[in-house]
Amino acid sequence: MTKPSGIRSFFASVQLAIVLLSLIALFALIGTLVPQREAAGELAQHLSPALFSFLEKMQIFDLYSSIWFILLSTLLAVNITVCSLDRFPATWRRFRNRPVPLESSHFENLPPENRLQTTYDIRKAADVMENLLKKEYGKVDRQDEPDKSYLCAGRGHFSLFSVYVIHISILVFIAGAMIGSLFRVEGYVNLAEGETTDTIFLRGKESSLTLPFHVRCEKFTLERYPNGMPKSFRSDLTFFKEDKILHAGKLLVNHPLEVDGFRFYQASYGVVPGGKATLSLQKEGGGREVMNVAQGYTFDLPGGEGTFQVLRVEENLMEMGPAVKISVRSPKQETVFWIFQHIEEIRTSSPDIFEQVPVFNPGLFRPYTFALMGLEEKYSTGLQVNRDPGTTIVAVAAMMLICGLMLFLLSYSRHILVKIDSSSHQTQVLFTGQSYRNSGALQREIRNLADRVKTLLEEKT
Amino acid sequence: MIAATLLGWVTFIYFAAFVFYLIRMIRENENWGKLAGITTFAGLAVQSIALVIRWKTSYDLGMGHVPLANFYESLVFFAWSIVLLYGLMEWRLKNRALSVFVLPVAFLLLAYASIAPGMNNHIEPLIPALQSNWLTSHVLTCFMGYAAFTVAFALGVMFFVKKAFGAENSGQSTLLRLLPSDSQIDELNYSSVALGFIFLTLGIVTGSVWAHYAWGSYWSWDPKETWSLITWLFYAVMLHARLTRGWRGKRMAIMAIAGFACVLFTYLGVNLLPSLHSYLV
Repeated sequence: MTKPSGIRSFFASVQLAIVLLSLIALFALIGTLVPQREAAGELAQHLSPALFSFLEKMQIFDLYSSIWFILLSTLLAVNITVCSLDRFPATWRRFRNRPVPLESSHFENLPPENRLQTTYDIRKAADVMENLLKKEYGKVDRQDEPDKSYLCAGRGHFSLFSVYVIHISILVFIAGAMIGSLFRVEGYVNLAEGETTDTIFLRGKESSLTLPFHVRCEKFTLERYPNGMPKSFRSDLTFFKEDKILHAGKLLVNHPLEVDGFRFYQASYGVVPGGKATLSLQKEGGGREVMNVAQGYTFDLPGGEGTFQVLRVEENLMEMGPAVKISVRSPKQETVFWIFQHIEEIRTSSPDIFEQVPVFNPGLFRPYTFALMGLEEKYSTGLQVNRDPGTTIVAVAAMMLICGLMLFLLSYSRHILVKIDSSSHQTQVLFTGQSYRNSGALQREIRNLADRVKTLLEEKT
Repeated sequence: MIAATLLGWVTFIYFAAFVFYLIRMIRENENWGKLAGITTFAGLAVQSIALVIRWKTSYDLGMGHVPLANFYESLVFFAWSIVLLYGLMEWRLKNRALSVFVLPVAFLLLAYASIAPGMNNHIEPLIPALQSNWLTSHVLTCFMGYAAFTVAFALGVMFFVKKAFGAENSGQSTLLRLLPSDSQIDELNYSSVALGFIFLTLGIVTGSVWAHYAWGSYWSWDPKETWSLITWLFYAVMLHARLTRGWRGKRMAIMAIAGFACVLFTYLGVNLLPSLHSYLV
């Protein structure tokens, strides 16, 4: 056997694996304590600028995609690969070859539970033993010698490969995660009801991406339980490419939509001004009218004095709340003024506002007084838009990992060795076993087997 | 709220079972052991009934979800998993010694669930993020994993208790005779950790699948995700140390106890950090 070179034995060691796993855990831990990415900004105020920029250069605030994490994952991948290649030949030999119990050395110093005596002669006892082992383990190797017999059977040898399945799954996982970190697109877009877009904003970057199709939000519905808790968030979306509809349907939390390789998720919602307002118009000593208006709408005044037009609808004018700007035209004049929704509050805080700013008076055109009853609002939906070509690879890795672990837990490779010879004029049966782990379970299995053989050998006498 | 009343009783039943197991250890009388075993089983049965009632009630209220949807329900289910796993071990191994170390954890979890200030034990409808078929499999596997790690922790404590008594009485104490041998403790510790590791892996994988459908990414370095990874790595190190470096006995006992600290932080500690999992607080 050639002596492995230094670097190879370094990478083939399990100590290295233990150190690397611990380091990854440590880095992950630091990442949960030190604010990451956007959250790091707050920390900047408490640290000296020099220290902060040093830590930033060391990628402490973006640990999970830092060079440290890539380095550790790469080292772990190399470690796992070299380790597996190093050990596989031995495992293969273990899988192919059964221990040949030629020597008596396997059967030295056995506890009394692992021996039993019988009146059968050696060959007959070996026949009984062989039948039982065949029934339990399938294949039995038997080796008869003049004054003794050896039997060997085994089971669970495929589980020798479970560690390789597990370790390859980790390699596949690292590959999938790296592909993800290189080619992943993570974007978001807020769409008001009725709006259409083909542009998403990329998370963590100050850039946007143009999708190869358009998406329109037809409607957003928020359903609530009787106690007020949200029951469902639902967006009705239409995806289209040059007038051809690719997909139209509802998007719900936990039920993403996939269109052209991009996955859409219902992430959030908001309320945006719908551009419409409700105005009331009160004539002195006369009736009151309520109307829904939007920018550009023109109405006749009820008394026939003229017309008015809505010039602007403002959500929050000069920090004084919603307001609408209108122009009233009569044959004699044109009056332009603002109607605030919260006019009473404004007048309470500055009682002489109409004297200072006459255009804030909603009763500027006599004999009418306008009032803004409210602005119409509509929902906007927050969509998360992702594409991660590594996901499938990671899913394969997860399946492999689970299969490997199951194989590891539910089975183990072991051989049962039996020697039958004579001692003090009686036939004696000796049991032992070999396994690379789980010796306790093996010992229980052997005792169980010994008990059954004992009954069989007693029955026939 | 029959379920809540029943769960209140269960807390005391587990405590009674713990006391009976303790008396059995001290007086070395197996009748006490049998009584304790029956009491534990009764507690588990009542708790299972309470969980089913709670489940059914949620359907009667028109919400219809498994009782695994908030912190209170998770505490109750954690306790249930621990006792279930212990019950299976007592039955398989025919050894009752572990109870004295495992039952107090289940008892404390249930007691905390019923007396902690601000604990919300109402059945509530599911918010949109939790309306998923993955909820059950994710929570189930995670808590079975936690329960297995709790058993390993109890074995670690047992190892040190045994050492403490052994040093004083040079192996003559009654307690010592009823406790499993060092190598048995070690092997059980390993088996529990291996079982817990598989369940934790399943928990993380089901969680990732769910996150893939709900949040748009199979992994987003949310503190709870990160801590579950830390716990996973910790136990991975523990298994490697045992299987390839031959760590046994004291070292494994220390690892089992330290690993449980990771589990507790993953379960409770991360609530101190801002998290996507915050609906469990």
